[in-house]
Amino acid sequence: MSTTTRRGGKLQSEIPGLSKALCMKLLTDLEKGKRPVLHATKCSLDNSIYNHKVGYLTPGGKKVATELNVSSVKKMSRAVFMLEILLRNIESGAVNTKRELYYMSKGETKATPLLKPLDFTEQGESDETIDFICEILECYREELNCYANDRGGQTYSQQLVVTETLPDGDTAVVDLSKLGTSPFQPKNRPQNLKLSARKKIDFCLIVESEGTANTLVANGITKRHNCIVMGAQGVPSNAVRGWAKLIQDQLSVPMYFFGDLDAYTLQNIYRTLKAGSAASLIRNQDYSAPDVRFLGVLPDDIKRYDLFDYPVKENDMQEVRALKKADDALKNDPFFQDKRNKGLADILRWLYKNKRRCEQQAFFSVNPKDPTMPEKILIDKIKRGDYV
Amino acid sequence: MADQKKISSSSTAEYFSKNLQQVGFSSPTKAVLTTLKEAVDNALDACEEHHMAPDIRVEIERLGPGSIKNSERIRVMVEDNGPGIDADDLPKVFGEYLASSKFGRGRCTRGQQGIGISAATTWAQLTCAQGAKVVSKTKAMRKAVSAQIEVDIKNNKGVIKNRETFEWDRAHGTRVEFVFDGRIQINGEAGLLNYLLGTTLVNPHLNLEYKLPEQEWQKVERVSREVPLIPEATEPHPHTMKLGEFIHHSHLFGRQKVNAWLKKGFSRIGDSVIDDIVKVKENALTKGLFEKLVDQLEDGEMAKIFSAIQKAELKAPSTNSVLSIGEDAMSKSIQRLGKVDFFSVVTRKPTICDFKPVQVEVAIARLEQKTSDASDSPAQLLRFANRVPLQFDKSACAIAQALSSVNWRAYGLAQPKDAFPLGPYIFAVSVVSPFIKFKNASKETIDASDELVEEIRRALIQAGQKLSRYIKAEHKANELEEKIRYIEQFGPILVEGLARITQAKEEQKKRAREGLMKILGRDTTATEKELEDANTKLEIQKAKDSEETA
Repeated sequence: MSTTTRRGGKLQSEIPGLSKALCMKLLTDLEKGKRPVLHATKCSLDNSIYNHKVGYLTPGGKKVATELNVSSVKKMSRAVFMLEILLRNIESGAVNTKRELYYMSKGETKATPLLKPLDFTEQGESDETIDFICEILECYREELNCYANDRGGQTYSQQLVVTETLPDGDTAVVDLSKLGTSPFQPKNRPQNLKLSARKKIDFCLIVESEGTANTLVANGITKRHNCIVMGAQGVPSNAVRGWAKLIQDQLSVPMYFFGDLDAYTLQNIYRTLKAGSAASLIRNQDYSAPDVRFLGVLPDDIKRYDLFDYPVKENDMQEVRALKKADDALKNDPFFQDKRNKGLADILRWLYKNKRRCEQQAFFSVNPKDPTMPEKILIDKIKRGDYV
Repeated sequence: MADQKKISSSSTAEYFSKNLQQVGFSSPTKAVLTTLKEAVDNALDACEEHHMAPDIRVEIERLGPGSIKNSERIRVMVEDNGPGIDADDLPKVFGEYLASSKFGRGRCTRGQQGIGISAATTWAQLTCAQGAKVVSKTKAMRKAVSAQIEVDIKNNKGVIKNRETFEWDRAHGTRVEFVFDGRIQINGEAGLLNYLLGTTLVNPHLNLEYKLPEQEWQKVERVSREVPLIPEATEPHPHTMKLGEFIHHSHLFGRQKVNAWLKKGFSRIGDSVIDDIVKVKENALTKGLFEKLVDQLEDGEMAKIFSAIQKAELKAPSTNSVLSIGEDAMSKSIQRLGKVDFFSVVTRKPTICDFKPVQVEVAIARLEQKTSDASDSPAQLLRFANRVPLQFDKSACAIAQALSSVNWRAYGLAQPKDAFPLGPYIFAVSVVSPFIKFKNASKETIDASDELVEEIRRALIQAGQKLSRYIKAEHKANELEEKIRYIEQFGPILVEGLARITQAKEEQKKRAREGLMKILGRDTTATEKELEDANTKLEIQKAKDSEETA
């Protein structure tokens, strides 16, 4: 049983005790004929607080109260049912994905006729139940031993050394310079990792496209510079977010994000990496890296490097939606409203006004004959302090 | 011009014989329905004119293959207990176009122009070389007369053949039989069954016996003995006329003073209106002009009077000329459509739309659901114009447009955006007016003017509000049932789960279970109260409805 994971500053080992206390409270209320009420943290933008000194979005005081009545009895029964499965996992140290938990719960309801009414017809229903439990207990899904696939975060470096504490107490040391062309894949439990540098690391570059990160490495960026290069693979997964936070905390190196210049990247990818999201208010503390700077593509880069940019297409629904959201974000999102983030808000405003986008791969158009040109531009920008 | 062609004129019969598609004979299927419809319309109109409760028998059978492609030889027989027709009038009624006792009279009869039944005779004549076989007997006749009527197409005259008299075991009535090429469609929106059931719905006083091919005789009993009195026409309203009509109208009144003609020949014109017209300087009309004889007016003077009247503010036309089925009769009649869960009927007060008197009535019924598919299918719409079912070209019709425009979700019905509501419902909408504006000569679609659509929409909304009381009561009953089911299902699961996690003792578990039942029981009590309220409101509405109909 893993007891070393932090839970908002506390230990995972507290979860069984907390759960039992909560269930006992419900049971006692019922005994008294009193309606039990479950309070869950409201995970939405209107309950998000951003303080530059803290660096990420934190939950406000708003709670969603679920009172037991005929309408909520099913939801509560499902939550207690799923909690029992998760507590069993914590007890035994077993881990599962959400999909696996969905099938496990189906197996349970199939085996016990009394539980049949709880049966989840779609995975979305069991996912919602797991999220509800996290909001009540104010814990991370990972602390309930529920992990998502390790997506994104492939990391390359000639200097970085990772020491992993394994569940059985053993340690494993991974020297990234010894991996050849293979990247290091961060795990969902970055808290079990200890980082060190064989030589001083100058910066960490997080690239939105994992393909472009590979290209930069293949063309020699990690050979020519003492750096870490990581591919985010779109919207950062918990693994990527936790990994970036770990690099920031343990290595204290300057960190830069390089991605497309568009509203989706700025709001959904970069903002999540830097300050977390409203949907994950509970876990932003351990899953955001506030020191990451936006290296580009910046609106000024388009002029300076004569980059190809183009208007947002009407059928590009993802970006059209993101532009609509941008207007709201500029008015209501505490992250973009903070004066310390004025530079980022200005970029978002520019995108909203001009409705254009420029992809990170546009740097490859500057001098097609020189495969290291994008690297040169990035290094030049870092040296000049040309980032936000 | 060397090659000047001779200009000839054609008879009305010649025109229609070449354009039968304009009056409902555009396909073999429509030919059967139109023939039946014209014969039944005539039978019902005749009975009502003489204030007789109609007994109508309909028989339709297949006689063999037809002569035109994809058709069968069909026999349609319609018999009524009406006043009968004098033998000498038979050729006019069944064989002459525009020979009608109803043309342009401005009354709410089904037939208006005298085209339909002659067109049916023409169709039978063209496809099977024989016209209508008619049997008729009036009270005054000792024996019934039977004859074959054909249309002399060249001269628009009815021709009577094989005239015979015989003993008929009926005191009076008419029987007409057509044999022609057509195709039978029994079910569906444009089916014969839909027509027959629709006809019984809007004619509660009708006793109908019918036999369709390969089926037994069916009988639909009347639910009302009250034969509707068709109100007499009111005089035309001058604002509904054009100059030519106005001048022509003056010829009908002989040598009369202008003011007398205006007051007698039109509705809503009196001395005060004439005085007002004279007072308006721009009209440049003197009082003396109105004292002149009508036939002494010059065309210019007539035009000036017409134009002054058009500018004058007149009261809207009278609504006395419309008739209604009535909520009570509709309530009884709608239950003849099948097994009905509940229904709602609304008879709007007569009103004026587009300067014509109109009365709209709506009946909505929910049929006992036979299959679950019915919940996802659009509701059935029955349209009626002057109590005649309309079965084609639904989409452009004022009734269909009004139905789609109402937000039925507000009344508890499912409805896709801008479409018919869904579910096992029948919406019957009847529009009655002496001047219904149809989109075509075959009278299948009512012109969707904004005012008429709005009037129909209001009737539908009123009926929807009444219906929603039933749906709400039903919804509350379902809700209560669902809540009880929920409590029984999830209560024990919740307590068992909590007890397992906390390792609670049996005693504590028992107390928690009792407490939970108490809490959830309170929720059920609240719903029980809501159900009671919904039922009380429904009872109040029912009492109010029966008070109104009484």
